[in-house]
Amino acid sequence: MDRTPRALRRLLSLLAAVVLLGAVAACSSGASDAADPASSSADGQWTYTDDRGEEVTLDAQPTRIASFTDYAIGMYAYGLEPVALFGRVDVDSDPRLADYDTSAATVVGNSYGEIDLEALAAAEPDLIVTGIYPTDRKGTLDLEGPLYGFADVEQQTQLEQIAPVVAIEVGGAGADVIDSFNSLATALGVSEDTIASAKAEFDAAGEELEAAATSSGLEVTQMYADADGIYLVKPADEPETQLYSTYGVDFTDLRPDGDYYWDIYSWENASRMMTGDVLLVNVEGYQEEQLKDQATFASHPALQAGQVYTWNGEALDYASQADHMTELARILRDAHPVASS
Amino acid sequence: MPARALAARRAAAVLGLVVTALSAAAVSILLGSNHLDPGVVLTALVHPGEDVGAVVWGSRVPRTVLGLLVGLCLGVAGAVMQGQTRNPLADPGIFGVTAGASLAVVLGVTLLGSLSVLATVWLALLGALVASVAVFTVAALGRGLSSPVPLAIAGTAVSAFVTAFTSALVLADETSLAAYRIWVVGSLSGRSLHGVGVVVLLAAAGLLVAAAHTRTLDALALGADLAASLGQHLLRARLAGLAAITLLTASAVALTGPIGFVGLTAPHVARRLVGGGHAWLLPASGLVGATVLLGCDVVGRLVGGATSEVSVGVVLSVLGGLAFVLIVRRTRMTAL
Repeated sequence: MDRTPRALRRLLSLLAAVVLLGAVAACSSGASDAADPASSSADGQWTYTDDRGEEVTLDAQPTRIASFTDYAIGMYAYGLEPVALFGRVDVDSDPRLADYDTSAATVVGNSYGEIDLEALAAAEPDLIVTGIYPTDRKGTLDLEGPLYGFADVEQQTQLEQIAPVVAIEVGGAGADVIDSFNSLATALGVSEDTIASAKAEFDAAGEELEAAATSSGLEVTQMYADADGIYLVKPADEPETQLYSTYGVDFTDLRPDGDYYWDIYSWENASRMMTGDVLLVNVEGYQEEQLKDQATFASHPALQAGQVYTWNGEALDYASQADHMTELARILRDAHPVASS
Repeated sequence: MPARALAARRAAAVLGLVVTALSAAAVSILLGSNHLDPGVVLTALVHPGEDVGAVVWGSRVPRTVLGLLVGLCLGVAGAVMQGQTRNPLADPGIFGVTAGASLAVVLGVTLLGSLSVLATVWLALLGALVASVAVFTVAALGRGLSSPVPLAIAGTAVSAFVTAFTSALVLADETSLAAYRIWVVGSLSGRSLHGVGVVVLLAAAGLLVAAAHTRTLDALALGADLAASLGQHLLRARLAGLAAITLLTASAVALTGPIGFVGLTAPHVARRLVGGGHAWLLPASGLVGATVLLGCDVVGRLVGGATSEVSVGVVLSVLGGLAFVLIVRRTRMTAL
């Protein structure tokens, strides 16, 4: 009994794995063509045009923000304090928020698409912030479907009745995603000085990463693995790897064209993607021990050399990325070339 | 038809199924998502070389063995299950085995942070056993074991209860969620064969228990009252069935994660070929299960694209869904 739902669940869990991992990658872009997405008119009205081209107009600059955790992290770094948080996973144990005091915020969602509308309404947000992921390399946005983090269009409609929603596009160039977030932060009242000092740290980390990448000359493979095989991230499609590529990090990129976001290699085909010196393995999939169990992958030079690092995409804001780039630079300095080709 | 001719026909059918299952195994070794020349594969089988040897001996042979073993377990368990409950839509998961195994794996990850492959297998087995014993106890405490209905209801209730705990754990802990998601997709690929020896022993025990109780199962299929009047001890019969189902399903789940549809559909195909007597039905159902599982796995390897695959759980969901509709539409089959 109950076969069809279980079958569906299995299909959905697969789909979810793909979607969630795409999401893990981080945050996003856009708005570079719109000169100034935010403006305040003479009568004090606040308007903001998000990456979808949706214009939000409020009577005053919003101060009570409800945000998806990916973007809340950058807000905290800039001194903004969201009044409500919702995440893809449990918010209170989200390590990315560990450095910030989130006690003033109401947690209204701990699982993708599950948002407590009553609790959110009780937090009385002026604005709801989430993301949108393009569906292809050209940056096509599905404006008919729900935004990232929302269960469906119906839920989105209910959310829009609580407060207007703005979306940050997470796709394309990593720098564009950060710019888009900064535009929103500026519109929410973050000062230019605050952003400039965060940028200084970010730039310093970028220089450190560039130095490490150049001197090491290592090829970095960013992947997720499970029973189906290896999901190899395509560096140009993932904003974070795209960003690091601009600092000279050499990511494994075997088939730049073709499928969007990643190439999948079944375990039988694992030997086709063993050129990397360093493996960054997604925290949600197989880790070092499980990878060593795969006969077709066990001989990977980086695996044998122990140059395997549990990895996760970080939020696309200056502070998160400065930390993450420093971490990657450290890995690149510690590792050494092992790949034969 | 004279009894001897009938037996000969059934023996021929089982023999045919053996040949089919072995053919499926051969195809499973020859075909895959890495499009190797069959000649190269055969050479590598004899002389395990560098790369091709790893593909053949490291991937195709293990998954073929897993497919045969797990398919056999699920097919036999499904036949025992349907005989026990007299419900043609019953599947081994009904005893809470899958739900129990899932909870144990998730609990292990939550408490220990991560699990070795062998620990995962053991936990899955333990969880499956505990859940099925709980189901049996709940049913026995209630209206008793004379009707299969309390067992089915207890199984559904315990499964729901256990699944609620699993959900709570995976929602509260990201590591558990990740481990659960990896585990819950039934797949023959990418699974380790560590600990397979232990599981084979348990599966063999399950097969022996089932084989030793074919006449009891035949009697139970007539209904509990009639079975009792035929001299069958009801509690012992139920316990034997439960033990066989639990051992077989738990072994399968521990090795590959939950795989649906095989246990549900294999007995129906087998029943068409050899009839309802369990002495023939159990082996036939096991062989059909092995063939179906391996066949679907091979299909998944070939439809995935240039270098990837579709996992067998997904193929079974699609093809099994169709089979399910056919079963439901065949009213004759509901009259077990």
